[in-house]
Amino acid sequence: MKWIGEVLVSYGEGGVYNERMLDGARVWDPFRSKLAALYYRGKGIELEPAMRVLYLGAANGTTVSHVADYTDTVYAVEFAPRPMQDLLVVARRRENIVPVMADAARPEQYAPLVEMVDLLYQDVAQPNQAAIAIRNSVFLKKGGVLVLMLKTRSVDIRKEPAEVFRDTIETLEANGFAVKEHVWLEPYHHDHAAIVCRKL
Amino acid sequence: MPAYWFGDVEGGSCTPFSGNAREIAERARALRISMEDFEPLNWELAVSCGICHDRAEYLAKLREACFFAAERDIREQYAGKDTELLHMVRTLDEMDTVINLLSERVVEWYQIRQPAFSRKYRRTPSNLMVRKIREKNRGALGNVAGQVESLSAARTDLAREVSSRANRVLPNTSALIGGLVAARLMAEAGGLLPLARLPASTIQVLGAKTALFAHIRTHTPSPKHGVIFQHRRVHNAPRAVRGRVSRVLAGKLAIAARLDHYRGVAVPEFLERAQEKIDAAGMEGKA
Repeated sequence: MKWIGEVLVSYGEGGVYNERMLDGARVWDPFRSKLAALYYRGKGIELEPAMRVLYLGAANGTTVSHVADYTDTVYAVEFAPRPMQDLLVVARRRENIVPVMADAARPEQYAPLVEMVDLLYQDVAQPNQAAIAIRNSVFLKKGGVLVLMLKTRSVDIRKEPAEVFRDTIETLEANGFAVKEHVWLEPYHHDHAAIVCRKL
Repeated sequence: MPAYWFGDVEGGSCTPFSGNAREIAERARALRISMEDFEPLNWELAVSCGICHDRAEYLAKLREACFFAAERDIREQYAGKDTELLHMVRTLDEMDTVINLLSERVVEWYQIRQPAFSRKYRRTPSNLMVRKIREKNRGALGNVAGQVESLSAARTDLAREVSSRANRVLPNTSALIGGLVAARLMAEAGGLLPLARLPASTIQVLGAKTALFAHIRTHTPSPKHGVIFQHRRVHNAPRAVRGRVSRVLAGKLAIAARLDHYRGVAVPEFLERAQEKIDAAGMEGKA
């Protein structure tokens, strides 16, 4: 990852969401992006120029734009029309983003469009987050990496976040993933955890 | 037989699909893929298929189709008759908040200028109060009061428009409970389809979230009504039968919402019987 001093940056056309610029690089704010928070916590995997990424829960395309700065191709899946409007504008100006309007829980909807990827990144506010990741793992190469941003409050508001976290890790390990790292995203995001695993 | 956006592949040979972005988008939507031993595509297949020469061209074609599909899907989702109504209701509610806040503030400000003024023993409604303040004051205070007035006028217009649009979008629900309240119910539910899927018991307490959760958590008495209280049949009913009226009304609203969503036109036979039932529920207490 590229750092200028203590600041995480990416190189690409700026002005996507009024992000700060530093020496011609786009500052990647950990308080706005969970993936940036993961790097600030000293975890996560290096994004490489040759990587192909399947990004579930692309939202407004803020984090997507940074990931696209680092990687070869990003398949950005988003379901809701309002954020999709923004995502399309971002994708128009970044030729390595393929915007896909579909439900991440139903990969059969976009299966004819998406190729094999090296990284599966998931940030969706759904109760069945582990199941969604497992269903999408068909697009992930053997040995590829899954980065799952777990919104524990979306899974079950009545359960303790730590319990949801544990359950999710167990489900992933039982379904062909080896968990490499798991970390809470405090102080950047509350009750959010990141799980990094490798597909066996 | 694996089918991808650019063609069908069988036993190593590929039948390309030639079409423009729109046709590819249609094809991708129509393809029924089984995820059982599904094999994701390899972009080089598209080259051997004769669809493109290199990766850049591959991505450009795919992107064009994806943009088309996404724009089409967004348009289709927004075309729902309820989408704009939803925003109109929310704007209306927010305008109410703003108008109340500003008129309170303007009156407070006026009291500083007129130390002898007090609202005690006066029954001036706040809109008249604001008008008086505008007439009597120049400069910023009078200006702001004038803005509050024109905001109120815009609010009245908007309310009328919400009501008439609700009559079109929710003909049955509006007939039972009035356009404005029908629109509010729909906004609480988040749309016409979500409203049509709600059980009557939920419709009865839509908009009474605080009371409902207080009931669930600490066993305070359950709320009898939410948004539907705004309808005269509920708030004019004698206390003793109010719960009954709102229960019956909510039951009929649940049916009405489903008619609105699945048929989209007013159903007079249903409405007539429903009105009778609701009226009867209100009469029982008096008999």
